[in-house]
Amino acid sequence: MKSTSLHIILASLAAVVVCVALYLVFFVAPTEATLGIVQKIFYFHVASAMNMSLAFGVCAIAGAVYLLAKSNKWRKRADALGVATAEAGVMLGAMVMVTGPLWAKVAWGTYWTWEPRLTLSLMVFLLFVAYLALRAYAGSDAFGRSIAAGLAILGLPGLYFIRVAVERWGGAHPQVIYKGGLSHPAMRQAFFASIAAMLLVSASLVVLRFLIERRRQTLDELFLEADKIFG
Amino acid sequence: MGRQYLAILGKDLLVEFRTREILLTMALFSMLLVIIFAFAFLSDPTKAKDYGPGIIWVTVLFSATIGQNRLFDRERENGCLWGLLLSSVDAGTIFLAKATAQFIFTLLMELPTILLIILFFDLPLVQPMEFIASLLLGTVALSLVGTLFSAMLMNARMKEVLLPLVTYPLLVPVVIAGVKVTSVAVGAPVNEDAWMWLKFLLGFDMIFAVATWFLFGRMIRA
Repeated sequence: MKSTSLHIILASLAAVVVCVALYLVFFVAPTEATLGIVQKIFYFHVASAMNMSLAFGVCAIAGAVYLLAKSNKWRKRADALGVATAEAGVMLGAMVMVTGPLWAKVAWGTYWTWEPRLTLSLMVFLLFVAYLALRAYAGSDAFGRSIAAGLAILGLPGLYFIRVAVERWGGAHPQVIYKGGLSHPAMRQAFFASIAAMLLVSASLVVLRFLIERRRQTLDELFLEADKIFG
Repeated sequence: MGRQYLAILGKDLLVEFRTREILLTMALFSMLLVIIFAFAFLSDPTKAKDYGPGIIWVTVLFSATIGQNRLFDRERENGCLWGLLLSSVDAGTIFLAKATAQFIFTLLMELPTILLIILFFDLPLVQPMEFIASLLLGTVALSLVGTLFSAMLMNARMKEVLLPLVTYPLLVPVVIAGVKVTSVAVGAPVNEDAWMWLKFLLGFDMIFAVATWFLFGRMIRA
């Protein structure tokens, strides 16, 4: 199958790029002067946060296609893509939520601050969790899926408003600046490599999950047909 | 469309004013919440201005959820919603009528609850107009998002848990804006521009009104 080979290519590419990124992060990029070794969390943290936002965007588009498309074929594809990106998004979100406080404890002296970017990441994570909960528990198949798709679509304007609100909400506090910008070229290199690595890992996971979901859909259809013949 | 809208809304209000199921449960629940909050927070009455606005909005949000869970109960019994959808009424009209009903119920619940909070916590309303505006705009937002997902989750096994799980993340901006305006309205020492937050709420209402109205028709057909 063509799509299976796409997954194998993506996964092997991811394996290579992850190794390169790890090498660049730990052996090439210099250790930051004030934060020390902890600063290296930054490479993984920001990369997973960026990919989480991307996953949410794709999930919302898939939701829109699911609700708007006329043909059943496209609806099923969009649905499979939606669940694949949402699950990858929850995984990335969990990484953001674990690495973020570890970084913050050293950089800002506290595990959690209600800094706009942190708050926004938390809300994206929560929306993804709600999406998966809806798919799992909201009753009969098609219904749960369409509610989840609706949530993913409403999430886009929702996140815009959340962003505006948390930025103005924190208005009285000083804007926290990321300590130790990427001044060194080797740091920048490692940073871009880790973004690429995380993107490839997420993409291969999404493709794999998408394929599994498509097989499950095919199996469901076969079940229905078999039911017609033998039932 | 206007006549159909009024017919559905009128039916909801009439049934509710006869049975008072949603209104009574919401109002009783909100009063209990206020009493719990009073026991939990009222150790230092001089600080009431700091946490009073938060208590008002948490109470409104939680009690509105209680009402939203029940909003489509009558449509579920005997498959009434399918009957409505099969009739010539546009799905968007059904949504707007149900959302308006929920808006009125929530507002009626808020009236005694907020009076009680103001009395218990001794909050001075120095800018009542701003507070009322934020309450109206915030309730519109709660009703729109709540009605959409309450209708969709009507038949879900775990709807009582799923409804807040889905709506609260989306309603975070409303709570933030509402608390900000209310803090200004009770004269808390905060440096906030109440009008900016009211405009923010208005923008939220307008975008979500269009989005939820559009999505309702799409989602219910699935």
